[in-house]
Amino acid sequence: MTILEPSTNEPPPASAVRGARLGVTPDQRRILYAIVAAILLFFIGGLIRPGFSSPSGIAAVLTVACFVGLVAAGQTFVILIGGIDLSVPWTLNAGAILMMSTAANSDARMPFALLVTLGMGALVGLCNGVGIAVFGVPAVVMTLAMNGVLEGLTLGLSGGLTCSSCAAYAPPLLQAAAHGTILGIPAILYLWLGVILLASFILSFTTFGRGTYAIGNGARASYLAGVNVTRTTIILYVISGAFSALAGIMILGFGGQAALGLGDPYLFQSIAAAVIGGVYILGGRGHYVGTVAGSISLVALVSVLMAMNMPEYGRSITYGVIILVLLLAYGRETAER
Amino acid sequence: MPQPKRKAAWIRLVEQNAGLVLSAVLLVIAIVLYCAIYYAAQGRLPGGFELTTTVNNTMPLVFAGAAQAIVVITGGIDLSVGGVIDLTNALAALYLGDSPLSMVLCTIGVIAVGGACGLLNGLLVAYGRLQPILVTLATLAIFQGLAIRVLPAPGGSVPEAYTAILANFEAPYSLVFIVVLLVVWALVRRTSIGVGIYAIGNDDLAAKSSGVKNLRSRVTAYVLSGMLAAVAGLFLVANATSGDPTTGNGYTLRSIVAVVLGGISLFGGRGTPISAVIGAFVSTMIVNILFFAQIDPLYQSFFEGVFLVVAVLLTAIISRLMRRRAVA
Repeated sequence: MTILEPSTNEPPPASAVRGARLGVTPDQRRILYAIVAAILLFFIGGLIRPGFSSPSGIAAVLTVACFVGLVAAGQTFVILIGGIDLSVPWTLNAGAILMMSTAANSDARMPFALLVTLGMGALVGLCNGVGIAVFGVPAVVMTLAMNGVLEGLTLGLSGGLTCSSCAAYAPPLLQAAAHGTILGIPAILYLWLGVILLASFILSFTTFGRGTYAIGNGARASYLAGVNVTRTTIILYVISGAFSALAGIMILGFGGQAALGLGDPYLFQSIAAAVIGGVYILGGRGHYVGTVAGSISLVALVSVLMAMNMPEYGRSITYGVIILVLLLAYGRETAER
Repeated sequence: MPQPKRKAAWIRLVEQNAGLVLSAVLLVIAIVLYCAIYYAAQGRLPGGFELTTTVNNTMPLVFAGAAQAIVVITGGIDLSVGGVIDLTNALAALYLGDSPLSMVLCTIGVIAVGGACGLLNGLLVAYGRLQPILVTLATLAIFQGLAIRVLPAPGGSVPEAYTAILANFEAPYSLVFIVVLLVVWALVRRTSIGVGIYAIGNDDLAAKSSGVKNLRSRVTAYVLSGMLAAVAGLFLVANATSGDPTTGNGYTLRSIVAVVLGGISLFGGRGTPISAVIGAFVSTMIVNILFFAQIDPLYQSFFEGVFLVVAVLLTAIISRLMRRRAVA
């Protein structure tokens, strides 16, 4: 099955030879860079503001990174097949509002609300997947349109968040779960750990994961090799939708109440986290472990800049410059021969 | 083997410009629908005032769409369009003076800033060998940051004379600028760079082996895109008569919608910025139709999303049918 081996069906660039000498592939090296960047940022943060890299400071950064990481899990899956999910912001926002209004302050209704919300996310993903895989709509257009559809539905059905059930708070149990700690570590991070293990298992040890990489390297070739491209694509978008909804639920639990525009920052952050973590934007290369490291370094970077009391415009500019620097360091295409 | 019969010239012309024709048909449908709904709601047909406001409201999107189209034709995508509009909008609101000289100099300066933004994108994409979507994602953050640095809060002012030129409330004079855009594009299209922009969108490597200056064409495309986005920023500021450093944000997505409604392939190499101009008008007409159909504005993006998918599906189905006929 060497044909399905990710990143082996391309001639290794000169840098790969260099990497091989150190015993790591270029893909693994990118993940290492992201991890080193995260550690470095915690170190710098600790120098600027004592307490930044204390256990509680790190836990605070990781909690915020967890939200980005959950959204980026779905984003990573679809980027691996060369797609993209632009419907993240309003899937997340709709998820948070749906969870809040369905559960209506009550713990008893929470399981039902969870089911409805995750189902809504999966349904959004299903629409995306069917549009892209069956009808051949470009992923950018399909998910962009779905984002609009969800924005309209969320605003319209909730009357601009003025509906009677929109005044509810997140169920106490959900709030407790989002804020609670187990063995001194935020409970939310255990959930993330579970997601990390599950996603890594799917990507590295299942035929489904192999199929995902194969489609990213060449949809036609993997179709001929027996991968069910249509089904895999649809499932991946369903996963992405469900993860966006899950992130919405967790953000709701953390914040206590949903707001409009809640999901807006998460689109670009989820893409940036995946790319910083070494996921190739055109698909076929990368791993969720890298995305996790990318989410942590991204959030740590923003936190460091905030600790430096940098105004908003400075943060925005620095953020852009650092992404460019990282891209130039390891996101370059091989030169044309 | 018998030679296939040559088709009539006009059929070939339609087939070669399927996207353009489809978007024009879409625009006609939208206008007819708009007139019908307007008539039902108001008891008369829309007149000069409606035409003028529609044109004035669409002008920023016309240029943002054209900016996006040029990059999309090279096979890329420009997420920083909104950021350039933010920045140029803020600069114009801050520096536009009352004297004609100041207006001319400021306009040139603002367009030059847009060109510089595009140059940065182009250099990073072409010489840095980075993916356009990532470069422009990063520069979007940079340009947005600069815009807020230039104009921290909505404000500034635009001289009345400037608004009278770019967004005249009396009559749709701004249509002149669309003609200027089309003429300039027709000229650029005929240069070696213009040919190169299409060639690299179709097949980068083949273009290079055919002697196209790949890197130069690509950088030029991004510079043109930046300049057009700056013009969009100017129209926006003239129409609003004051500046806002975040008002351009929505234009990144809106420009992509205009490009798609214009029937330009996101895979590159096909389509013309003219289609994006039509696409921009289609998307404004959709908003107008929803308004006069008395649909709750909260549902607006729902319908826009649905129209986008339907338009893309129709384009895909019709062009597939055409290709099947061409093969048969």
